Amino acid sequence: MFLKLAWRNIWRNKKRSVIILISIVIGIIAIIFFEALSVGLVNQMLDNQISIHTAHIQVHKHGFNDEKLVQNYLPNVEEVVVNLRKINKVKFISRRVISYGLITTAENSSGILIVGVVPEEERNITKISEYVIEGNYFLKNKNEILISKRLAKSLGISLNEKIVLLASRVDGKVGSELFRVVGIFQTPNSAFDKSTIYINLRDAQEMLGLGNNISEITIISTNVNEIMMLKENIAHKLGPNYEVLSYRELIPSLVMQQEMTGSWMLIIYVIIGLAMIFGIINTFLMSVFERINEFGVLKAIGMHNRKLFLMIIYEAIFLGILGSFIGSVLGLTLVIYLSKVGLNFAVFAEGLSAWGIAAIIYPEVELTGVVKAVIVIIVISVLASMYPALKALRLQPVQAIRHI
Amino acid sequence: MIKVVNLKKIYQDNGVPVKALDNINLDFEKREFTVIAGPSGSGKTTLLNLIGALDLPTEGKVFFEGEDLSLKSKSELAELRLYKLGFVFQAFNLIPVLTALENVEFTMILMGVPEEERHERAYAILEELKIAELANKRPNEMSGGQQQRVAVARAIVTNPSVVLADEPTANLDSDTGTQLMNLMEKLNRDKNITFIFSSHDPVVIERGRRHIILRDGKVVSDTSK
Ligand SMILES: Nc1ncnc2c1ncn2[C@@H]1O[C@H](COP(=O)(O)OP(=O)(O)OP(=O)(O)O)[C@@H](O)[C@H]1O
Ligand SMILES: [Mg+2]
Repeated sequence: MFLKLAWRNIWRNKKRSVIILISIVIGIIAIIFFEALSVGLVNQMLDNQISIHTAHIQVHKHGFNDEKLVQNYLPNVEEVVVNLRKINKVKFISRRVISYGLITTAENSSGILIVGVVPEEERNITKISEYVIEGNYFLKNKNEILISKRLAKSLGISLNEKIVLLASRVDGKVGSELFRVVGIFQTPNSAFDKSTIYINLRDAQEMLGLGNNISEITIISTNVNEIMMLKENIAHKLGPNYEVLSYRELIPSLVMQQEMTGSWMLIIYVIIGLAMIFGIINTFLMSVFERINEFGVLKAIGMHNRKLFLMIIYEAIFLGILGSFIGSVLGLTLVIYLSKVGLNFAVFAEGLSAWGIAAIIYPEVELTGVVKAVIVIIVISVLASMYPALKALRLQPVQAIRHI
Repeated sequence: MIKVVNLKKIYQDNGVPVKALDNINLDFEKREFTVIAGPSGSGKTTLLNLIGALDLPTEGKVFFEGEDLSLKSKSELAELRLYKLGFVFQAFNLIPVLTALENVEFTMILMGVPEEERHERAYAILEELKIAELANKRPNEMSGGQQQRVAVARAIVTNPSVVLADEPTANLDSDTGTQLMNLMEKLNRDKNITFIFSSHDPVVIERGRRHIILRDGKVVSDTSK
């Protein structure tokens, strides 16, 4: 009956309840939207980074990640490759030579990371082949280079023109080679673009005097959810001479951002929560004061304060539940729709690409996020109704009746 | 059964003390049908409220069945009102969102009476008071007299020992008022419920078997027929 009473009381003043409902609905939608957006954003940044270059797992000689020297090449490559191929859940592997170097033209030069790849292997691992916007993804000739559009622009060169790469060799001398630009790429990450070039693994080995040695092996797992397990497994098989790193260790800043989404959401929760609390307190206070004589009668006929308090809280819970339900349905519909078509931030594309984000962001729905939002909103409604409810209790029954 | 000793109530009206009751001593016996009369502002409502534990006296004590109300906690007083007392106010007695039947059931819900019994008793009372046809109506669909009858039904459904009614007929026309008095008298006779009510109306006052007349917060006369 108290529930029935609370339910009917809600609909006594439809306008007021609808106002509270609308604010709850907007609150829920906002929370769901921001949560999905930030999750989508960070995941996209991470996915981009993984698919542009990092891959799921990298294997190096121990210590290479901290000091990327040509001399730190992988021992026993052949054996490692054979072993890796035998491991379950290793889907693709790609061999790379990595070295810092200088790219120079007649007028300009720029420090870059030289990545020597086996084009066919790399195609399975990263999307760099798809990011080629001019020319080709290698043509099987000697000394071909892929550079980004940005770098080409800043160096003032274009397709088919020649550049010189300089890098220090294994023997300590400086190696230099003439390369022809066969392809120009553009990834969503402008910082990466400015600092990375691709050449053939063989050419890199030759220029750096590596022989048949390579610097790293990148791996794509068959199951994205078991990368950590796979990593442990590989590390165990290869032993302590090798370092096996997952993308989590390779791009810690992004992983941290992913984890920080929670903190961002907390701030959003607080802002939305405060706005709602004040709105609800206000409307509930009005509704309580309007009913003061009624509360007086209820107290006079023997209703305990506790029950009266509960009755008012029930009203808030009902509004919270109803509002959350409507809000979740609308919010989820919105976010699911946006997760399909994407949210176009083309206007900010320049700024976003500096962060490695594409212009279209696909919000990602996380059901736990929705559940959290609903719980938070219901708690907020209850908290906000507590003050008005306490106010109603303070009244002596006779004072309440006197308002008649 | 109710004893009022040296009862004083002083209100603060914007810092000015207003003496609403001044040293009242009264005894109420079982089965009384008592009217409290007196001009406006003489303290009738204040006295009924103090007897009904709806307010606290400034000085003096109210004993209910020998128990000192000043020693009871808020929650014990709520219990007392629930189990021992029935109230009928001048107006707005009923909860607007509940039907007549639900209003009558409400006190029994507070007492924890199981649903079926609650239903039966509420219906029985409505029938007894000849207002069964109002069972599913909400207060705003009833006349003032009908609302007051439902209020009486609610007050007595818990079998209280005392019903306190502050000007129960004030908002009713004289015919309806008389009918309400008939009803109260009948309940007093048949169910041995003590009634203490206040009124301005000479016709209503005439119906009381004991007349307590207040003036300026003092009892100026106390007579029984
Ligand atoms: N809450 C209050 N604050 C200040 N003064 C009050 C308060 N309640 C009652 N009074 C004063 O106490 C006196 C007694 O009031 P009370 O309501 O008991 O009279 P009454 O006999 O019921 O009057 P009426 O016939 O108009 O209902 C009056 O002077 C009134 O103004
Ligand atoms: Mg009065």
